[in-house]
Amino acid sequence: MNDAHTKRRRRDLIVAAVLALLAACAPLVVKDVYIQNIMVLTLMYAALSQAWNILGGYCGQISLGHALYFGLGAYTTALLFTKFGVLPWFGMLGGGVLSALIALGLGYPTFRLRGHYFVIATIVIAEIALLLFLNWDWAGAALGIDIPVRGDSWAKFQFTRSKLPYFYFALAFCCVAFLITWWLEDSKWGYWWRAVKDNPDAAESLGVVVFNSKMGAAAVSAFLTAIGGAFYAQFVSYIDPDSVMTFQFSLLMALPAVLGGIGTLWGPVLGAAILIPLTELTRSYIGGSGRGVDLILYGTVIVVIALARPEGLIGLFSRKPAPKGVPQ
Amino acid sequence: MSETLLETRGVWQRFGGLVANSDVSISVGRGEIVGLIGPNGAGKSTLFNLIAGVLPPTQGSIIFDGHDVTKEPATARCARGIGRTFQVVKSFESMTVIDNVIVGALIRTTVMREARRKAHEVLEFCGLGARADVLANQLIPSEKRRLEVARALATEPKLLLLDEVLTGLTHTEAEKGVELVRRVRDTGVTVLMVEHVMEIVMPLVDRAIVLDLGKVLTEGKPADVVRDPKVITAYLGDRHAVSA
Repeated sequence: MNDAHTKRRRRDLIVAAVLALLAACAPLVVKDVYIQNIMVLTLMYAALSQAWNILGGYCGQISLGHALYFGLGAYTTALLFTKFGVLPWFGMLGGGVLSALIALGLGYPTFRLRGHYFVIATIVIAEIALLLFLNWDWAGAALGIDIPVRGDSWAKFQFTRSKLPYFYFALAFCCVAFLITWWLEDSKWGYWWRAVKDNPDAAESLGVVVFNSKMGAAAVSAFLTAIGGAFYAQFVSYIDPDSVMTFQFSLLMALPAVLGGIGTLWGPVLGAAILIPLTELTRSYIGGSGRGVDLILYGTVIVVIALARPEGLIGLFSRKPAPKGVPQ
Repeated sequence: MSETLLETRGVWQRFGGLVANSDVSISVGRGEIVGLIGPNGAGKSTLFNLIAGVLPPTQGSIIFDGHDVTKEPATARCARGIGRTFQVVKSFESMTVIDNVIVGALIRTTVMREARRKAHEVLEFCGLGARADVLANQLIPSEKRRLEVARALATEPKLLLLDEVLTGLTHTEAEKGVELVRRVRDTGVTVLMVEHVMEIVMPLVDRAIVLDLGKVLTEGKPADVVRDPKVITAYLGDRHAVSA
């Protein structure tokens, strides 16, 4: 049985490596910039959802306020670059660290809340941050920040002529998020998180420090989310509070994991691969008159999943039938 | 008994106006199997939770293995060597049986391979070896009780607190449970068990402590305790005490 476990983990890595390789070759075939754009977003959301999944899926602390960390990553990078000329790579790292620290600061009071109250707190905090940024003149307030073009280079992480560098960064980001999760899954943290999610009282009786577990998950999750935000700022080269900090981003980070399989390694990847292209395509094909159709789509997807496959689409791939809880 | 492992000194617990434990002083020696019995509402579960560290006592102190652990939370007491099960089983339902036990093992080691090996060993010991890769929510109730014990044992406790692990089991299952508790003790673990089905516990325990109305009513050898008129009164009322 020891072997079965090791084999399964090795298989996860091999499948991921093959998929990453295939994805890396995709631009050789796909020349359409529009499709490339969708691929970048899909990879980005796969990574973001993977980050969300660490806190929401493994540790069971459902956050609908991750737009806060996404926005902090984007703003830190953009502000440091435009105001002080700091290279985006440092901004990215700084945004990550800042977000992790803020996640710890917010976790201190909010992790005492259980269930719905925690979710509500995350939404409210992200909304407060959105309002602050909308009114913060130095940070561009509602007008946002235009990231000036200084010529294509990896150092400045700016590319105006091709989307491909962004694509490869997004792919690398996705791989890193996957690997981190893969590694954490079979570590003390991974087990502690799942124990905290399933039954905090039992976890405590077994020596799991519940509060610290949640704090750890929040910090890792926020750090990775901010990296995604920093990337997004460079990718779109213009940010304002409404484009990086709204509730919709929080949803977009949570949904792929929920759709694919919450608390699973492959859930976020699978969910993003389905949801993001679907969203982008409906948005463009239905066009301006269809504003909000993508939102109707999320809603429908969530309802269908909740009814038919509460454990997510990943359940379709498992050999055993979905276990039903046996009421005691 | 040779040496005291656990001691409660004048422990009180009040919930508002309700006194669940009043001035409870008990001690458990190393290597003993002690039964904590008493009618419903006697304060057994409260005392149990005080020892496990779920809540601090209103007054009094709890000494474990030479340390005053009164103010320590459950996690710290687990690290010191107090393992427990829950009366209403609290398995990690979405995790496999082996993963449930690994969580317990991780307090003694952070090397995953070692934790997994330990967990397998404990599962075999508890007779759940064949169920290792099944999800915990697919176990039948008696297996879930065993899982509770296995998980607690994986933390390598010096003292194992069993909260009604034998209650509600069929006769055969209960006998297997009794056998398991004996084997646990034989590995050097001290056992304190709450149980109110007297006929199961009495042959198993070395000593019984009877709680009634939050106080220690009496304690002693199981055979003496069951004949004690005070105990019979507590369980059955005055009329029966007279006839005994």
